[in-house]
Amino acid sequence: MLFLTKIYQPSDYLPILIQFGLAVGFIVITMIATHALGPKRHSKVKDETWECGIEPVGDARTPISVKYFLIAILFVLFDVEVIFLYPWAVNFKHLGWFGFFEMITYLAFMLIGFYYIVKRNVLKWE
Amino acid sequence: MPPPTKNCPVAVKNNHVQNIKPASFLDLRVLFFILQKAIIILSKLLAFSKKSYLCKLRNIFHQKMLSLILLSVFGITNLFLGFLRQRNIVLFASMAFTFITLVVSWLDMNGTLITFDASLNGGMMANDKLSTSFAFVMLLTALLIFPLSTHYLKDKEAQPAEYYAILMFSLVGALMMVSYKNLIMLFVGVEILSISMYVLTGSDKHNVKSNEAALKYFLMGSFATGILLFGMALLYGAVGAFTTEAIQTYVSANKVVDSPMAFLGFSMMLIGILFKISAAPFHFWTPDVYEGAPSLFTAFMSTIVKTAGIGATLKFVTLFGFIPLGASWYPAWYKGVAIVVILTLAIGNITAVYQSSFKRMLAYSGISHAGYLLMAVLALSPVSSVKAILFYTLAYSVATVAAFGGLMAVAGNKRKEEYAYFNGLGKTNPFLALSITISMLSLAGIPLTAGFFGKLFVFLSVFERGLYFLVVVAVLMAAVGVYYYFRVIIAMYMREGNNEPVQVSSGTIATLLIANILTIALGIAPDLWLNWFM
Repeated sequence: MLFLTKIYQPSDYLPILIQFGLAVGFIVITMIATHALGPKRHSKVKDETWECGIEPVGDARTPISVKYFLIAILFVLFDVEVIFLYPWAVNFKHLGWFGFFEMITYLAFMLIGFYYIVKRNVLKWE
Repeated sequence: MPPPTKNCPVAVKNNHVQNIKPASFLDLRVLFFILQKAIIILSKLLAFSKKSYLCKLRNIFHQKMLSLILLSVFGITNLFLGFLRQRNIVLFASMAFTFITLVVSWLDMNGTLITFDASLNGGMMANDKLSTSFAFVMLLTALLIFPLSTHYLKDKEAQPAEYYAILMFSLVGALMMVSYKNLIMLFVGVEILSISMYVLTGSDKHNVKSNEAALKYFLMGSFATGILLFGMALLYGAVGAFTTEAIQTYVSANKVVDSPMAFLGFSMMLIGILFKISAAPFHFWTPDVYEGAPSLFTAFMSTIVKTAGIGATLKFVTLFGFIPLGASWYPAWYKGVAIVVILTLAIGNITAVYQSSFKRMLAYSGISHAGYLLMAVLALSPVSSVKAILFYTLAYSVATVAAFGGLMAVAGNKRKEEYAYFNGLGKTNPFLALSITISMLSLAGIPLTAGFFGKLFVFLSVFERGLYFLVVVAVLMAAVGVYYYFRVIIAMYMREGNNEPVQVSSGTIATLLIANILTIALGIAPDLWLNWFM
């Protein structure tokens, strides 16, 4: 009304609903179909976690060192940071020096964070 | 005034000066001349700077909401100060940083309206008088809370630098929540504030209660944020923009009957924000989270988060209710909010009576105070309810900080938060007992404390609107409140304790002193705050 040239009514979003229905329907139908169509052979060996190799011992749900999670989440963080560089690279000429300085600020903040992580010995494995 | 005698004394003085020190007189004249020239050059420079780079620099500092930038940069600085061996520096630094931000935001207060990024759809944030007043309340409260944290400086397991940094980041979110001009900024502010609080709630890593509280707060908070976002999407669908101006134009141009989508969006957004201030049907997370979180962060949650939430609610509801604009909208929603107010007051006050833990009682009392604040929001008169809310938030925050400071001194590290641990405190530590008493009196709303005038202003604003039944309910519930606040006072002065001495750190003493002086000063001269700021 004020900033859009076209007003969208709820009915205009019907294609999204149909798409959603199709996505859910596909998953449900394939799950039912695989169970119905696939052959079922049960035996003691078949129902083991691993059919061959070393015998499984103990519980699968053991606590994992928090270091793994830290590394994983830091990887995601810096991965996303790189993704933010792409739109800047595409609009590099258009944004000019303004974009350059904004990006430098952004990267500086990320580097400060990285320096903090290194200083806190998060990346050290002992 | 007598007319100045020009003839005799001046001549004598001139003769005197010229005869003895002609050179120095000349020097003075030269100095004066140079000074005059310098002033002229400076004024010319200043005039020039209005169109030049200097002015641009000044404008950048003003337009970009300096307090937000300062808080973020100071927070990061704080993280690195944590590497120093001297841990006290972190506390002093964070207090100094918060104080600088307080001064900056106070300077902004008397300035004109400043809009951040005005080129974009009418601005993302605005530094108006209301937002700076809220910012002042929150920064002052933060400044009072910081000295309570001295026990973290001695604790080897604790990370005070990170705690202070996260508190400062959460203050950034709180400031955004009270100064938004675009719903996206409201959402970003809510998220920054909430995520910081989720982390701090679980900061006591080896305590099961703290972990439970963090998970509960996170899950419930995420759902509330989801509802807020759904509402925002619906509102955008109806209005076609996120800015407050566009929403106001839409509300004044359309009747509520013709725009059910916008009304649904409004309701859902309101529910999302009411969750943050723990109003009644959305309050279930509050007692567990307040009890599980370390007391320092509970104090932060029950004061600053609540102030930010009520500021956001006031700004948001104003868009849909001010009579000239939203004449057809106010009648549509005020009954629903009135029910929320009554529920909040009743559940908060009556459940608080049955608590045996002081901290849980404070959690429920926080719910009930959210009810009083919502009452003033519901009154929605342009002057008196805004004044009432500002006064009430300050009075409530200051008294609550004092109460939590007292609780932390009594409970120590052992989490002894039952009423019984306050027994005999009047004998073992009279100062602590007196300051807890003053804060309890203020929370109960006894005259000569700030809480009394807070309640009075709230009731007056509701009276002005004509919602008399609400005032009746609120007065009844305030009477219930007196009971459980006085239980603490009775325990401290009339029960026999085990006479174990209670140690109070100097930081806690400073906070309690300032909080109590403020409580009494505002209780004796309430105009002090009202005239100064609004």
